[in-house]
Amino acid sequence: MVTEAEILDVLRTIPDPELPIGIVDLGIVHNIDVADRGSPNPGVPGVRMPEQTGVPVECDVSIEILPTFVGCPALRVIEEQVASKVGQLAGVGSVRIGIVYDPPWSVERISPAGRQALAELGVTVPLPSGERLVSLGVQRRDAATPAACPFCGSTQTELESAFGPTRCKMIYYCSACGNPFEHLRRLT
Amino acid sequence: MTTIPESLKAPLTELLLSTADDKFLLGHRNADWTGLGPILEEDIAFSSIAQDEIAHAEVLYQFIHTQLGGAKPDDLAYGREPREYRCAALVELGDEFDWSRAIVRQFFCDHFDAVRLGRLAASSWPTLAVLAGRLLAEERAHVQHADTWIVRLGRGTPESHDRMQRAIDALWPDTGSLFEAVWGEGLLEPSGVYPRGDERMSVTWHRSIAERAGEAGLTVPASVPKQKQPGGRAGQHTPQFEELLAELCEVYRVEPKAAW
Repeated sequence: MVTEAEILDVLRTIPDPELPIGIVDLGIVHNIDVADRGSPNPGVPGVRMPEQTGVPVECDVSIEILPTFVGCPALRVIEEQVASKVGQLAGVGSVRIGIVYDPPWSVERISPAGRQALAELGVTVPLPSGERLVSLGVQRRDAATPAACPFCGSTQTELESAFGPTRCKMIYYCSACGNPFEHLRRLT
Repeated sequence: MTTIPESLKAPLTELLLSTADDKFLLGHRNADWTGLGPILEEDIAFSSIAQDEIAHAEVLYQFIHTQLGGAKPDDLAYGREPREYRCAALVELGDEFDWSRAIVRQFFCDHFDAVRLGRLAASSWPTLAVLAGRLLAEERAHVQHADTWIVRLGRGTPESHDRMQRAIDALWPDTGSLFEAVWGEGLLEPSGVYPRGDERMSVTWHRSIAERAGEAGLTVPASVPKQKQPGGRAGQHTPQFEELLAELCEVYRVEPKAAW
């Protein structure tokens, strides 16, 4: 029977439609549950017959996704991708996707690899709570300190607009190198 | 409480419809500004807020459908008769592409929404409280956005100040429409599904509006006008509402059964 780890491997290949990282690195995959069917049951509507796949249906999968923002327009694309890719795993019958708001998604859920990939494309992420940005010998909290510029590293940056090209991003401007960049919004 | 009693489903549907309809219509009004915002960043911001409002309406319609046994989200959004909508007069008013009117309307509505979502986020029904809490977190960014404009334009040039004051004076008589009671609201309060705050919503709202206006050098009347006749919450809408709704529902009504 398919394992949670195998499902997670498949989910790792699915990119977020609006950010240059995968949905697992973004931290929106909350829970994966595999329910064993016991015996093949080809009578359930929507389930592929064994002769179509060559593998008997063994289990149903349910996956919980945490939206970054309520009603994010990218969610539907993500749901389709997850249902389609996980549904292709051998032995998987149905794939049920639940959209849940508890726990709330936050920037803390982005993996270090995800942060790195975002930074390489000029998108910065607020530091995890409790971590401090060290600059010019002064320790300042993230909330009070604008993001460090992803291009030149300067903290001489200012908020240009609290609303950016997608609902989860804000626009900052770097006074040192003159570049605008995007910063993920933290919801508190 | 882990589930909602059957007897409270109808009143809660009314309340959430009024919340969703306010957001849906306001989002539609805001979307008029896409491409026409005063500066590029604001064009993006206001369009983004429009998208937020419509997304919030959508998840609330979805909630009514899945949790309270209401119609499908698209049918709720586009398939009702005008008298079945529960939005307040304030979100129905046009702004004639006058930015001062658009931003003052937004300022009034965002602050109201934050107060209302605060009550819903304190609900004794966790399923509702969790969703409302998420909506509230996003709504706070809208409040901050509106406040920034109020202060910037209120303290800007004499012309910007006068135009903001005129917009406040023009829209103030309709602010009472936000506070009109929703049918069955009283039934939701004792169970804590829609808990009462320490003071009336209009008092909380008026205080934050007056504070921000004061900071901007603008003045607001001392109290919120009372809604005398049945208004939007009872399905009685402004004369322009039908036309606005027809525009909003035009595509849906061509083929209501179409799948999107």
